Amino acid sequence: MTLNTLEYIAREVFSSIRRNVWLSLASVLTVMISLVILGASILFLLNASNLAENFESQLEIAVFAEDDLTTLQVEALGNRLKGLTGVQSVEFTSKEQALQEFSKSMSSKSIISDLGDTNPLPDKYTVRVTDPQQVGSIAADIDSMTGVENVVYGNQYIDVLLKFTNWLRWAGIIIVLAFASAALVLISLNIKMNVFSRRREIQIMKLVGASNGFIRWPFLIEGMILGLVGGVLSILIVGFGYNWLVGNIQSTLVFIPVVAEGTLIWQVLGILVLTGMALGAAGSAISLRKFLKA
Amino acid sequence: MIQLTNVSKIYSNGARALVDISLKIDKGEFVFLVGPSGAGKSTLIRLLYREELPTRGQVSMNGKNLLRMREREVPQLRRNIGVIFQDFRLLPNKTVFENVAFALEVIGVSRREVKGRAKAAIELVGLAKKENAFPGELSGGEQQRVSVARAIVNNPSLLVADEPTGNLDPETAWDIMELLYNINKRGTTVVMATHARDIVDQMQKRVIAIEDGKVARDEQRGAYGYDA
Repeated sequence: MTLNTLEYIAREVFSSIRRNVWLSLASVLTVMISLVILGASILFLLNASNLAENFESQLEIAVFAEDDLTTLQVEALGNRLKGLTGVQSVEFTSKEQALQEFSKSMSSKSIISDLGDTNPLPDKYTVRVTDPQQVGSIAADIDSMTGVENVVYGNQYIDVLLKFTNWLRWAGIIIVLAFASAALVLISLNIKMNVFSRRREIQIMKLVGASNGFIRWPFLIEGMILGLVGGVLSILIVGFGYNWLVGNIQSTLVFIPVVAEGTLIWQVLGILVLTGMALGAAGSAISLRKFLKA
Repeated sequence: MIQLTNVSKIYSNGARALVDISLKIDKGEFVFLVGPSGAGKSTLIRLLYREELPTRGQVSMNGKNLLRMREREVPQLRRNIGVIFQDFRLLPNKTVFENVAFALEVIGVSRREVKGRAKAAIELVGLAKKENAFPGELSGGEQQRVSVARAIVNNPSLLVADEPTGNLDPETAWDIMELLYNINKRGTTVVMATHARDIVDQMQKRVIAIEDGKVARDEQRGAYGYDA
């Protein structure tokens, strides 16, 4: 490509945007709105899956040993638990530790002496699993092991929780896909209007022997610039908006874990700008295909 | 220069625009295409600059077969052909100079060369004083001059014109014909479809009459030959 060609393209793009100010503005705003929604959806998805992981990582199985086991047998039980597939970690709490913790939580110093020498609490193993979906089946396996008195893993609410977190993930993905395709349709529509308003120029360019590539470039670059501007506007809105929201949540709803990692947010914003440019270019290419045939 | 061999064109709606046409046009010729409306003149013109391809038969230009030509070779072909239409087809938001320069810019000619060649072409058609006017500010004859300037600015070896005087009054039409005559004198082959009886009769050039998609008549120094 020669310098003349580049100069021509630059001039064409600039004058075309200036000539079709309103159409260009509409394109930019469409890209911006679509990308703001896309960005918000991605951040929502990130937070939803972060929240889900957070909940899931708190799921654990409490395994209570039978009362009449010897220390050796209790240790053996621990080893067998560690050997199970799907088990991430096993933590031991002896009956003495349990009693101490219990008395602490009762905020009464006298409870151990009140009980005398008897300790009604059992030895306990706390088992964490690698895949939260398998908590139920692993708990059932443990329950059938010898020396196990009782297994507690909150089975009443775990199914509900897993269903909810799965639902959150799918909802996020569907929202992102829906808005991404809406953005593509709107942008290609805008560029189609732009190309249509200049079909005479394109017709004459073909007539005097301009190559298809030459005809295509100004439109592609125009689309990319419009997408870029829309993308930059959208990251300003999404970036500042999210920052504000995270600040508020962290100061008021402390118990909700939010994603506030700098690089991750920048990645999301970078994705928005690139998506804007790609959408602009793709929209132009789609709209031009028909006009450049034959 | 141009050779059509057993060319037929049937449009997708079934209309038979051209039926088994064979003809040859030499370099430097001036050819009128005459015949009733809808006889196939415009289709023939469009075959020449490869806006359309024949359904059957061969079209070749300077020994190059237009049917076997690849899509990306078409721009090169068109740079060697100037095209003029009845409705001028100028860009309304560009000045006279810009309209002519456009044809050079879009094929990647350097800016300095664009300026010189565009000005020369505008001068040739006698519009040097109006190069900064917009098409809307010009008369029909002047607009057609601009489109002639645009068509010849590439120094094409072939100029095709589809009823170039159709929208002009007789006097202005003659001005345009004088232009085309002079361009032909400089060695450019001219093929012109027309309904202008006076022009065809007085110019005494080769006349090819097309009727119902066939060559009805092909005469050197011919006449228009229709009553209407």
